[in-house]
Amino acid sequence: MRRSRRERRRERATLRALTSSALALIGAASKASADTAMDHFETAYTFSNYSEDPLRSSKTIPGGERTRYTIDTQQASVAGPVTDWLDLGLVYTHETMSGASPWYVTNDAAGTPIQIMSGATIQDTRDDLKLHGNYYTEEGRLGFGGGYSTENDFTSKDFAVDGELHFNEKNTTLSGGVASSFDTITPTQADLYPTRPSYKSKQSYTGFLGLSQIIDRRSIIQGSFTYNMNFGYLSDPYKETFQIGGHTQYGDFRPNTRHQFAFLLRYNRHIEETESTIHLSYQYYIDTWGVSSHTAELAWYQNFGDSFQLAPLVRYYSQSKADFYVPYLLLDQPRPEDMSSDYRLSAYGALSFGLKAEYLFHTPWWRDIEWRAHASFERYLSSGDLSFSSVSVPAPGLVNFTIFSVGLSVAF
Amino acid sequence: MKRAARLGRALATAAALFTQSACASMDFHWPHWFQDVKLPDFPAFDEYTESPKSYVEIALEHDFLVRVKPWERAVLARNDMSFDPDALESARRNHTFFSKEATMPGGSAGGGGCGCN
Repeated sequence: MRRSRRERRRERATLRALTSSALALIGAASKASADTAMDHFETAYTFSNYSEDPLRSSKTIPGGERTRYTIDTQQASVAGPVTDWLDLGLVYTHETMSGASPWYVTNDAAGTPIQIMSGATIQDTRDDLKLHGNYYTEEGRLGFGGGYSTENDFTSKDFAVDGELHFNEKNTTLSGGVASSFDTITPTQADLYPTRPSYKSKQSYTGFLGLSQIIDRRSIIQGSFTYNMNFGYLSDPYKETFQIGGHTQYGDFRPNTRHQFAFLLRYNRHIEETESTIHLSYQYYIDTWGVSSHTAELAWYQNFGDSFQLAPLVRYYSQSKADFYVPYLLLDQPRPEDMSSDYRLSAYGALSFGLKAEYLFHTPWWRDIEWRAHASFERYLSSGDLSFSSVSVPAPGLVNFTIFSVGLSVAF
Repeated sequence: MKRAARLGRALATAAALFTQSACASMDFHWPHWFQDVKLPDFPAFDEYTESPKSYVEIALEHDFLVRVKPWERAVLARNDMSFDPDALESARRNHTFFSKEATMPGGSAGGGGCGCN
């Protein structure tokens, strides 16, 4: 008698559980936490709304523009096996953005910095297509990928190769990869704003090396080191630096090289008694612009039976300022070679918390599909007070935002 | 930063003192998940070199780094035990943090830039 699709899938899942070393697939966007190619097709769709809080009225001039960015993101993906040892996947992202963004910083009568926004005229869309594939052998995995992303004023092409090597009876996995990205920027209204170049480009090259170790039946740890180098035009063409008193607006001038180093440690543990899984991660980051940062995240996946899962998460982030960050220049201050008023290069800390709910169900009466519906929420708050180091004058443009997301994924 | 460095040094010193002291072998209760690991009598000597064994040697001898067999991996193969249970979500979150903070997300190769402002 012919077995049902679900029976066969369950068998394959058991087989996968048996052969899997359950090591994370780093980088590529598929759930192949196994040593074999995916055994089913999977397609997913997610809609997210990202919305920044308006700037507080004390942080800008009276009557000034206060609305900020809103982004609607739609993601669609499809992935599946080609042969027993090869799988391929495609991810398409479409974003529509609108609103105003921080332009330059000046000070008010009391001498505290205030943020001047661009007019709420920005309307942009981003389309991003990424292809990735994985080739599996007995000892490991070789992955490859490429992507193309385009906006009104920006295009980016990227290529990546990564791999995994299992040893110590598949209890230890060495992973590594290289990637490169080639970007071009053609700022809008470059003819109206003398500080905006009409065409610039930048390149980045990344390498990473990681090691993961199964600790016991229920826990796994992974450490990795990532190095990224950037060359070219790394400034933000839409930001300016204001000289108070002189009423001169300079452009945004950042060094044209940047070397970035990130050390990431991740730990997952499943608690069978309570059907929950803890994800802990910590990242230390440092770069040649003088920025160093700490990121810590704790996520708790609580399962209720086989079909319902709630996952709260907390994330803490703190960074130091870039060497060349200045909110504005004073009249008698000589113009430095490198300078930026970008709040993202100032010292601050951020706290975010989120909650995700996921519901999993089967439709045995219709093609025996496995459905996974989820909805999530995340709130991000940043301020100088949350910083790890003491910040005397926080940047006025620091952002708070909220993300809502709903999605559906289908496995068949 | 200085505070963090000082704290780190203090913790490292405390850890070093603890592992060197007798406390590590005395009446110390490991958390219950280490119960199936037999700890050796300290100090453990190598019969040949007549020198104390390193912690790595002890760990290897006593299966401190337990080798999990293929048939014991049902829990590790769970979806929520993967480092990225939802690939689309982690791609979106990484892209958001990458655009709004001065840090790059580590642990992977790939991901294009953006003209984020």
